Amino acid sequence: MDSQCVSILPRVCGVLLVSGSSLPDDTSLEKLLDWFTTIAQTGHSTSLLEACPCLVDFVSKVAFDYTSGSSILSFTLKLTGLIGASEDGFKVLKECSVLKLVFNPQHWQEAGLWEDPCLRIGWIQGLKMILKHSEALSFFAQADLIEPLLQLQTDSSLFVASAANQTLAQVLLLCQSPSSVGHNGSKNRDLEHNSASMETTQNYSGIITKVSDYLNKSVVLNQQILRLLAMLLVRVGPPLRDTLLLAVINSLEELVTTSCSQLTVPLLDVILAANRNSPNGLRDDCVPKQRLIRLLWVMLNMKKPVDVMQAAAAVLRSHQSDPALSAHSARVLLLPLDIVTGVSLLDENSTEEELRILITEQLKRKSCISMICVCLSNIPQITLMVSKASDCLPCPQRLIVTAILLLLRLCCVDSSSSSAGCVEVVRFITGNSKVQKCALEALLVLSKSPGVKMVLVEVFKVLTEYLNSHSSDPSVLQKSYQAVIKWVGVCPDLSCITDQLREGFIQAVRKRACDTRWEARDSTVEFLGHLVGAPSCWAFTEQEMEPSDVLLGGRSFTVPLLKEALQDPESYVRASSISALAQTLTPSWQDGTALTQEQEDIVTQLQEVLFQDSEGFARRAAVKYFIAWFSACSSPSSCWLLMQSVPTVLSQGVADLDWEVKLHTLELAELVLDRAFSDPSPSHPYAVMSDQDHRLPIAGQQSDLLSSLKNLVDWGVVSALLCGVVDCDRPVALKACQLLLKLRGIVCPVMDNTADTRVFCQLAGASVMQQVRKIQEMGKDTCVVSEACSEADKEGICASVDPECVSVCEVLRVLDLDEKLSILTQSSDHIYNSPLSLLQDILTAAAASSPPGQDPRQELVMDCY
Amino acid sequence: MKLYCLSGHPTLPCNVLKFKSTTIMLDCGLDTTSVLNFLPLPLVHRISPRLSKLPGWVSKDGSLNLEKELKECAGRVFVDSQPEFCLPERELLDLSTIDVILISNYHCMMALPYITEHTGFTGTVYATEPTLQIGRLLMEELVNFMERVPKAQSATCWKNKEIQRMLPGPLKDAVDVWTWKRCYSMQEVNSALSKVQLVGYSQKVELFGAVQVSPLSSGYSLGSSNWVIQSHHEKVSYVSGSSLLTTHPQPMDQSSLKNSDVLILTGLTQMPTANPDGMLGEFCSNLAMTIRAGGNVLVPCYSSGVIYDLLECLYQFIDSANLGTTPFYFISPVANSSLEFSQIFAEWLCHNKQTKVYLPEPPFPHAELIQTNKLKHYPSIHGDFSSEFRQPCVVFTGHPSLRFGDVVHFMELWGKSSLNTVIFTEPDFSYLDALAPYQPLAMKCVYCPIDTRLNFHQVSKLLKEVQPLHVVCPEQYTQPPLTQSHRSDLMLELQPPPMPYRRCSVLNLPFRRRYERVYILPELANSLVPSEVKPGVSVATVSAVLQSKDNKHTLQSVPKAPPVAPSKKRKRVMEEPPVTMAPKPLLSGAVPLEAFLATLQKHGITEVKVEETADGHILHLQAEDTLIQLEEDGTHIVCDNNEPLRATLRDLVLRFLQKL
Repeated sequence: MDSQCVSILPRVCGVLLVSGSSLPDDTSLEKLLDWFTTIAQTGHSTSLLEACPCLVDFVSKVAFDYTSGSSILSFTLKLTGLIGASEDGFKVLKECSVLKLVFNPQHWQEAGLWEDPCLRIGWIQGLKMILKHSEALSFFAQADLIEPLLQLQTDSSLFVASAANQTLAQVLLLCQSPSSVGHNGSKNRDLEHNSASMETTQNYSGIITKVSDYLNKSVVLNQQILRLLAMLLVRVGPPLRDTLLLAVINSLEELVTTSCSQLTVPLLDVILAANRNSPNGLRDDCVPKQRLIRLLWVMLNMKKPVDVMQAAAAVLRSHQSDPALSAHSARVLLLPLDIVTGVSLLDENSTEEELRILITEQLKRKSCISMICVCLSNIPQITLMVSKASDCLPCPQRLIVTAILLLLRLCCVDSSSSSAGCVEVVRFITGNSKVQKCALEALLVLSKSPGVKMVLVEVFKVLTEYLNSHSSDPSVLQKSYQAVIKWVGVCPDLSCITDQLREGFIQAVRKRACDTRWEARDSTVEFLGHLVGAPSCWAFTEQEMEPSDVLLGGRSFTVPLLKEALQDPESYVRASSISALAQTLTPSWQDGTALTQEQEDIVTQLQEVLFQDSEGFARRAAVKYFIAWFSACSSPSSCWLLMQSVPTVLSQGVADLDWEVKLHTLELAELVLDRAFSDPSPSHPYAVMSDQDHRLPIAGQQSDLLSSLKNLVDWGVVSALLCGVVDCDRPVALKACQLLLKLRGIVCPVMDNTADTRVFCQLAGASVMQQVRKIQEMGKDTCVVSEACSEADKEGICASVDPECVSVCEVLRVLDLDEKLSILTQSSDHIYNSPLSLLQDILTAAAASSPPGQDPRQELVMDCY
Repeated sequence: MKLYCLSGHPTLPCNVLKFKSTTIMLDCGLDTTSVLNFLPLPLVHRISPRLSKLPGWVSKDGSLNLEKELKECAGRVFVDSQPEFCLPERELLDLSTIDVILISNYHCMMALPYITEHTGFTGTVYATEPTLQIGRLLMEELVNFMERVPKAQSATCWKNKEIQRMLPGPLKDAVDVWTWKRCYSMQEVNSALSKVQLVGYSQKVELFGAVQVSPLSSGYSLGSSNWVIQSHHEKVSYVSGSSLLTTHPQPMDQSSLKNSDVLILTGLTQMPTANPDGMLGEFCSNLAMTIRAGGNVLVPCYSSGVIYDLLECLYQFIDSANLGTTPFYFISPVANSSLEFSQIFAEWLCHNKQTKVYLPEPPFPHAELIQTNKLKHYPSIHGDFSSEFRQPCVVFTGHPSLRFGDVVHFMELWGKSSLNTVIFTEPDFSYLDALAPYQPLAMKCVYCPIDTRLNFHQVSKLLKEVQPLHVVCPEQYTQPPLTQSHRSDLMLELQPPPMPYRRCSVLNLPFRRRYERVYILPELANSLVPSEVKPGVSVATVSAVLQSKDNKHTLQSVPKAPPVAPSKKRKRVMEEPPVTMAPKPLLSGAVPLEAFLATLQKHGITEVKVEETADGHILHLQAEDTLIQLEEDGTHIVCDNNEPLRATLRDLVLRFLQKL
C-alpha cells in the first residue's frame, strides 16, 4: 500500500469521526470500503489491520459514539466485518470487545438507530463479511444472532431482506461444513479440532432447528421466503438440505394446493430446486423424490391455464430427469399451437381434455398473445428433448414446423388462409408482430431438426410471403431473413426451389431494398451479405452452387443492389451495404479473380465515402472493407488496385474525426505491417530453405528489411502510425504505440544507423511533426530530422527542404515508446480514481465544510439567502 | 321514420331519410364499376390498333351474333360502346318529393345530375365549398374523358334479357342493365351544381322549421363531412367516408356525433386489411424499384384526394431514393385546377397545413415539386406533353377503371414491357377486372390500395365512444368479407346488432317520436298560475288554442268572444262562442291509509277490511257494502244506490288531496 495513503489515513479517520462533517460525495464511503476490501484481498499475509492499524481505534470509537451519522455507522459496521473476516483481525476485535457491541442489535435498538434501514444493511453486510471462519460462526451462535437475522428475512426494505437472505445462506453453508465432515466420518482432522467441531455442531444444530422452524412457519407467507428457500436448496449440500426440505415439505404441499398465481413461479423454483438433487431411495431423514414429483404433477394440473403453462415451461427448462413429467410438459406447451392451428400435434388424451377446454377459452381473449408466445418460445426446449429421448416428443418435429407455418400464415395480414383450429384467436394474432417474431424464432431453431427438410419449400413460401407483405414490421423482416439463411444453410439441396418461387423471392428482396423504412433496407442489405456466408448447396441443375447464386442469381444481382445502397440517405444502411459488399466479394478476393470494372467503381465510391461521408458508421465500414480485402487477398502486393488504395485509406483514415475509424485504420496498418515482414523473400519462391538460410547474413537481412520498410513508408503505414501515436484519442494512440514498438522490434535490432540504410518518412501535417518532436524531447535530444533539414531546423528556417521528413529508424529509437506505452495503458482517470485522491478529497471536503473560526451553519444561512 | 336505400354500394351510398315531414337524400354516389364491362376508349387509335382489332363475339353454337356490340379479349367479353354507369334506384320513391340532398364528400356526389335533372327535383343540395369545387372538377373530367372520344353507336341489343342470359362471364350476371345510363353532359353538370348551397362545418341549416342539419368534419378528404340531422328531441347522425388518420384534411369531429338515436354508417374502408401507411410504403418501394431498373411507373388515379398524399409522400421519398432526376407527370384535364385548388382551401386543411399558410408557404409540398420541375402537369397527352415526355418516368393519370382517360394510352404504350409497372392506389375497382381488356400484359402490376377511411377496429372504438342507440349500415358490414370468412374482426359486432340494408331496402327506423316542442306566447304564459306540487315541480292548467304552422307549434290565448252583434234577421246558434265552463280543479297528492281509516272511524264507519293489492289498497266497508279502491293513480268508490254515502266518502277522500 502506498505509504502516503497510510500516513493520511489516521487523519481521514479523524475526519470521519467528527459527526456532521460532510463528505465529497455519496460514494466516498463506498469507494473507501472498496479500497479496504482490495487491500484485504490482495495483501497476502499482511491483514488489513497491519496495513492500517488505526482502523480498530476508529471502529471502537464509532461503536461507542452514537452521534455519528447513519452512513458512517453503516460504513463502520461493514468495515468491522471486513476486519473480522480474517482470523487475526477477528481476534483483535474480540480483544478490544468491539465485536459484541457492534453486532448487538440491542445496542442499536436502544440508541434508536435500528429503525434506519441504512444501519440494518450495514449490520447485515458486516455480519456476512465476518462469517468466513468457524470462530466467527461460534461468535454468531453464542451471541444468538440468528434471531435478529431471521427477523430481517422479511424486512420492509427489500435491500435489507435480500441481504439477509444471502447472509442466512452463508450461515447455513458455514454450519454445514463441520457437520458434513462429521457425517462423512472423515478422520483427517486431529482429535482436538474434532472435539471443537463437535461442540460447535451442537450449537449449530440449534441454528439449523431455528431456521427450519422459521421456514416451516413462514413459507406460506410470501414470495420472499420462497425465493430464500429456493436459493438455500440450490446452495446447501445434502444432509442440511434434506433437513430443511423435511421441515417445509408439508407446508409446500399445502401451498401447492392453495397456491395463487403470484406464487406459482417462486413455488416452482423451490420444488424444482428441491427436485434437482434429491435421492431416489427411501430414507427417513430425507424427502423422497416421488413426493416432489407428485408436487410437480399437481402444479401441472392446476385449473389456471396460464399457471400450468408457466409450470410446464419451468419444468422443461429445469431439465429434470423424470421422462413422463417432461413429456407431459411438452404436451401442455404444444396445446395452444395445436388448438390455434388445428394441426393435431397431440393424440387424443383424456387427461388433457379439461386443460384443452380451459386453454381454448383463454385463447379467445386478448391474453392469447402471451400464451402463444410462451408456447413458441419454449419450442427450442421441446426439440431439445429429442436428443435425450425421442419418444418423449408427442409428435414428429416436422408436424411442429407445419403448425408453425400455418400459424405464421394466420398471422400474416395479406393471407387468406384459415385454419381448422380456434377461429376466434385469428383476430388477435393477425398482424401481431410479437407472435410473428416468436414463431419465426421457433422456425429458426427448428431448421436443425431431423426430417424437416421436406418442408423447405413451404418454409420458403411463407418466408417470401412475409418478405413481400406490406404489413411486416422491420423486425419481422429481419427475422424472416435470418430464417431464410438458417434454412438454406441446413438444406444442402435447393433443387426444390422452383424458378417461380425464386422469382417471387427476388422481387421481394428487390422491393425491400427500396423500402421506405431504413430498418427494412438495412436488414435486406445485411441479408445479402450474410447469404454469401451460407454453406454451398445443390441447385436444381445438380451442380454445387452458392446459395446466393441459387436464390438470387449471384453477384450480378447482389452487387448492383448493394452499390445502389451505398447512396442511401441512412448511414446505417450505407455502412451495412459496405460490409455486405465486402462479404460478397470476399470469395473472389480469395480466389484471386481478376478485378472487374464494377469493383474498381466500388473502390472509388468507398474512397468517396471515406472522404465525404458525414457519418462515422459508413466510414468505419469503408475502412473495414479494405481490411477484409487485404486479409482475404492471398497476395495483396500483386493486386494493384488494393495497393494503390491502401495509402489513401491510411492517410485519410488516420486523420478522421471518429476514433473508431482511426483505430480500424491502424488495424489495416497492422495487417500491412505483418504482411510486409512475414513474406519470405519473394525473389526465391521455390528455394529450399536450409538452417543456414534462416540465419541470413546481416547484410542480406538488412537489405530485405530495408526494402520492406521502404514499402511500408511508401504505403503510408509509418506515417499513419506516427500520426496515430500522437492522436488525442487514447485507444488510437495506444494501438499506434504498440505497432510502432512492434516495428521497432523488427527493424532496429538489424538496422544500423548508417546513412545508406536510412529511410525517410513524410509526415502528414506540421502539427503531427511538432508533436512527434515533443515526444522526442521527452526522450533524448538527438536530432532525428533528416540531415539537411536538421541544419535548417536549428536555425528555425525550413524553406529549402521538407521539414516534415523524418528518418524512420531514428524516430523509432529516439521516441520513448515504452514510456508512452506505460502512460497510455493506464486509464485516463487513473489519477482521479486512486485511493490517495479519494483520501485527499475527503480531507479537503471536510476542511472546506468547516473553515476554522467559522460556524458552518452561518455559511448555510448565507447560502440559503 | 323511414330510410329508403337507393344504392347497394357501401362506399357510394344514396339513401333517403323521411324524418318529421322532410325528405332528405343522403349522398348521391354513382357506382362506376359497371364500366368494367366495357371496352376501353382509346385516345389515339394509331397507338392502340389492338383494341379496334379485337374479334367480335359470337356464341359457341353460332346462334347469337353480337359482333358489333361485343368484343372478346383474352377469354372475356366486353361491350364496345360508350361506358355506362349504374345509377341509384329511381323507382323506389318519387325523386321530385326530395326536399334536400346532403353531400358528404366529392366522391359521393357523382350521380347528382341524374337525380336533380329531368326528375322534377326542386329542392336544394347542401355541400361544403371544397366538395362542390372538387366534385365539379371530377365531373368535368369524367365528361371530358367521354366526350373527347365520342362513340357513334350505342350498344343496346346485349341488354335484352333473353340475350343477356346467354352471354358469358360477368356480363350475364350484371343486374338492372336497362337502367344503366351514359354519362351526363356538361350542361347537366352545371345545372345540377347550380342547385348546391354552400355550408361550413357546424353551420346549422333549418329545414322547414322541422329539423336542423349540420355538417361536421369527417377527416377523409378536403371538405368532407358527416351530417347531423336533429329535431328538438331526436338526433340522426349520418357518417360517410370518415378517417381518423392524420392526412391533409381537418381531423374528424367525433364528439358532435354523441347521443344519436340513430347512426347511419356508410363509407368504411374498402380495404380493411390494407394499412394505408404500409400501402404507401409499398407504393414508394415498388416505384423506386421500377425506376431503378429503367422502367416506367403508371399510377391510375383520381385527380383529387389520395394523390395529394402520394405526392407529399414522394416529395420526401424522391431524394432519399435517388429519384431526383426522374420526371413525374400528372395528366388530367383538371390537373392544374386540382393542384391549385388544394392550396387555397386552407381552412379545410389539418392544423399543420393551416399554419403553413401564415408563414406564408403553400400548404402542400407539391408546389415545390412543380417549382423545381420535378412534377409537371398537363391537361392531356396531346400538346406540350408529347414534346417534353422523357422516360423512365412516373405518370399519374385517370381514370382508375382503365376504361377511359389518358391512362388507356399509357396502358397500351407500356403494357408490352416487363420493365414497366402499373401501381393501383384507388380501392374502388378490382385491379384484375380493370386489367382484363389489356391481357396478355407483360407489364408488372402492383396493387397498393390506399383507403384512409375508417376500418372496423376504428369504427367499433368510435361507436363505443359516441354510443348511438341504433346503428344502420350496409349489409356488407355485418359479415366478414367473402374471401376472408375467418376474420370475424372484419365486421361490425354491436349490441344491439346493427340494422343492415341493401339496395331497394326500406327500413322502418326503430324509434318513435315521443315529444314535440310547443311554444307558449308571453301573454298566455303571464296568465298562468303555477302551484307547487312537490319541491321544484309546479303545475298550472292552461286553456289555449294550438296553432301549427311550418312545423312550429304555438299555444295562443283563446280569443275573447266578440260582442254579439244585434242581429235579428237570423239566429246563428253556431257562431256563438262555446260556453266555457271553468275546468274542474286538478287533484294531486296521495291518500294516507292510516289517517284515512281514522277519519272513516270518526264518521262512524268502523267495520273496514283492508286488503293489499299490487297497486294500493282495497277498503271493504262491510256494513255499508261499499268498496274504496285506493291506488297510485286513481281512487274509486263503488257504492251502489247510496248517493249520500258516496258523496260523504268522496269528500273524505278529497280532504287529503290538494286542489289546483
